[in-house]
Amino acid sequence: MNPEPFLQLDRVIHEKGRLAIMSMLAASPALSFTELRDALGMTDGNLTTHIRTLQEEGFVAVSKSFANKRPLTTCSLTAGGRKAFASYIDLLEQIVRQHKPR
Amino acid sequence: MEPNQAAEHLQTIRTLMERSAVYRRALAPIMIYCGGVGLAGGVVGDWLPLHLARGFVLFWAVVAVTGLTGSFLLVRRQALKDSEPFWSPPTRRVARALIPGMAVGTLAGLLLAWVSPAWNECWLIVPIWCLLYGLALHAAGFFTPKGLQRFGWLFLITGGLLLVGLGGQFVNPVVAAQVFQPHWLMGGVFGGGHLAYGIYLYFTEKRGQPL
Repeated sequence: MNPEPFLQLDRVIHEKGRLAIMSMLAASPALSFTELRDALGMTDGNLTTHIRTLQEEGFVAVSKSFANKRPLTTCSLTAGGRKAFASYIDLLEQIVRQHKPR
Repeated sequence: MEPNQAAEHLQTIRTLMERSAVYRRALAPIMIYCGGVGLAGGVVGDWLPLHLARGFVLFWAVVAVTGLTGSFLLVRRQALKDSEPFWSPPTRRVARALIPGMAVGTLAGLLLAWVSPAWNECWLIVPIWCLLYGLALHAAGFFTPKGLQRFGWLFLITGGLLLVGLGGQFVNPVVAAQVFQPHWLMGGVFGGGHLAYGIYLYFTEKRGQPL
């Protein structure tokens, strides 16, 4: 088996929680903090930590606003985040293809 | 990483991406509200002197607008309570899926008002609205939990049965004219249907269920 694709997998995205966040955001223009938290069943602290890591890598953009006088935090993938996510999927597909019977 | 692990990873990603696009507002209060409005419409419609096609269409248009407006306000209240945007991408998808069926239903109603048939023929619009509403719900069900699609199927089956049973005159027309008053039919099918589904959802629906 060629280990090359596996070695290229982005370590930041590969973590289970962060991969879940990236997957959710990849299918929507933006999601609120509470939507992500409820859908993934994460704690506030856990989600905040993962989002901060993804933000530091430049994969996720966080914006804070107010909706009906309540704070609203929304997260979205940056262009770099979308590219990194697409590459990650490509690599996973390569790994699967390598072992498909021809 | 083993290939089967990679395949599992891809499947999980796919599930998460699909989940992200799904509408997650609680439907129970919306269905119960619409059911109440529909049943009240059936009772009030029969009580008012609205036994003409135009009055029937106008009255049920008012009932539909009341139901829709209240539903939007309930959705908005839920979104604000959860500190989430109201007009979110899943909400937009659901609204877009509902529009074609609803629009054709509106046109069918306008056509009925224009043709203005005799009162004892007005029931025909009920199965047509039922079928179109079922199609609209079925389309919206692609972006909601699967229960809504099954609810759409119930409307399709009910509409089909009404059309075949009443239109095909398998039911005695004299009995049908007495039992299936258009206002009662509307109240029973739409009001009763929504109320029953709302009560079912009230006991089964789980909000914010983690994956």
